[in-house]
Amino acid sequence: MGTSGDQSRSGSEGARLALTEALVATGDEDRLAFQRVYRMTSAKLFGICIRICGDAQAAEDVLHEVYLTIWKRAGSFQPGRASPISWLATIARNRAIDWRRANGARATTPLAMADNIPDGSPAADEAMIAGEADRRLHLCLDSLDAEHRNAIRTAFFNGVTYRELAEQSAVPLGTMKSWVRRGLARLKRCLEDD
Amino acid sequence: MTEPDPDMAAAELALGVLEGEDRADALRRVLADPAFAREVDRWRDHFAVLFDHWPEAAPPPRVERRVMKGIAPDRVTGRFWPGIAITVSAVAAVLAGVIILRPPSAISPPSEAAGPVITLVANLAPTRGGAAIPAIYDARRQEIRVGAAALVEPGRAEELWIIPADGVPRSLGLLSASSRTTVRLTPAHRALIDATAKLALSSEPAGGSPTGRPTGPILASGQFISI
Repeated sequence: MGTSGDQSRSGSEGARLALTEALVATGDEDRLAFQRVYRMTSAKLFGICIRICGDAQAAEDVLHEVYLTIWKRAGSFQPGRASPISWLATIARNRAIDWRRANGARATTPLAMADNIPDGSPAADEAMIAGEADRRLHLCLDSLDAEHRNAIRTAFFNGVTYRELAEQSAVPLGTMKSWVRRGLARLKRCLEDD
Repeated sequence: MTEPDPDMAAAELALGVLEGEDRADALRRVLADPAFAREVDRWRDHFAVLFDHWPEAAPPPRVERRVMKGIAPDRVTGRFWPGIAITVSAVAAVLAGVIILRPPSAISPPSEAAGPVITLVANLAPTRGGAAIPAIYDARRQEIRVGAAALVEPGRAEELWIIPADGVPRSLGLLSASSRTTVRLTPAHRALIDATAKLALSSEPAGGSPTGRPTGPILASGQFISI
């Protein structure tokens, strides 16, 4: 590998390339490459697991499973189709949601927690997913009513259903659905508006 | 906002807020309507941007040791049967397979009744393209149900294989080309089933592979995904 994992954080494109390279090599059963994938991404993926599972021990177990899944499935990663970190993060989010729903876990993080996640544009050195699509989504999210935006963000970051969203924010289910649907409709118009 | 009820099912499915019948309806639409399926994919891509903002948290070092041990080279991997190109489809597409094989009423949130307990699904993608064949694992009934495939020429048989983490295919039996097949699992086969296992279909002489290993071309394959 020409690009070292340590250097890669200095630029989002470098990070993306290094990760793509390591992930593709993992698909050829290269264990060292897989270890690089782990070291480049485990803090992100553990952050996803711990937030959705709401329990550190469960999050560790889920993270372990997530990486075994990555090891098995790396061969099916298509570099041209998906950003590597999105591909990995989606596996982690889905696994963590599986765990939550299988264990009937209640969210331990209140709705307002999503406010703690910065929603401005990412700093350049943090952006492993770069590009116009990012800026567009953030601009469009910013244009939504605060309640709608917060509900959509919380659904994403907490991995919760309408029912849980409504319970957590103590509003009727119908109100929550309406917030999210109207927010999504507006988001769609904004995203498609060229 | 003038429209009272915008239809945002594709976005709702991608976001993961649906459950029960609403989710089942959305999954049915993924299956029936390619434009809707593309819309779900587009929303997934939109939301993926947010992963960038997910707060990081360093896991304890023991997790890395455990993970690296979990892929230690003493385990035989997929080399045994290199002909299989496993394509993992989008999760929605895989989950959509459930809809074919389960009546709508069975998709509601988990009930305690003695109904099916679907824990794993796979979409077997035909090697030559075309519609994927859904397969589901019912943990309560200890069986795998596979949709009709009809990928094989007359006079040949379709044999179903499970390929667990050791990469060695084990036969689960022959499939009907014209209708859904239910495969009852032995305890030995059940022990091989988890989210790392793959399913594959091969073309075999009538009556099945004479060697206990796949002899004909691979017709379709897919990875189990837990749901």
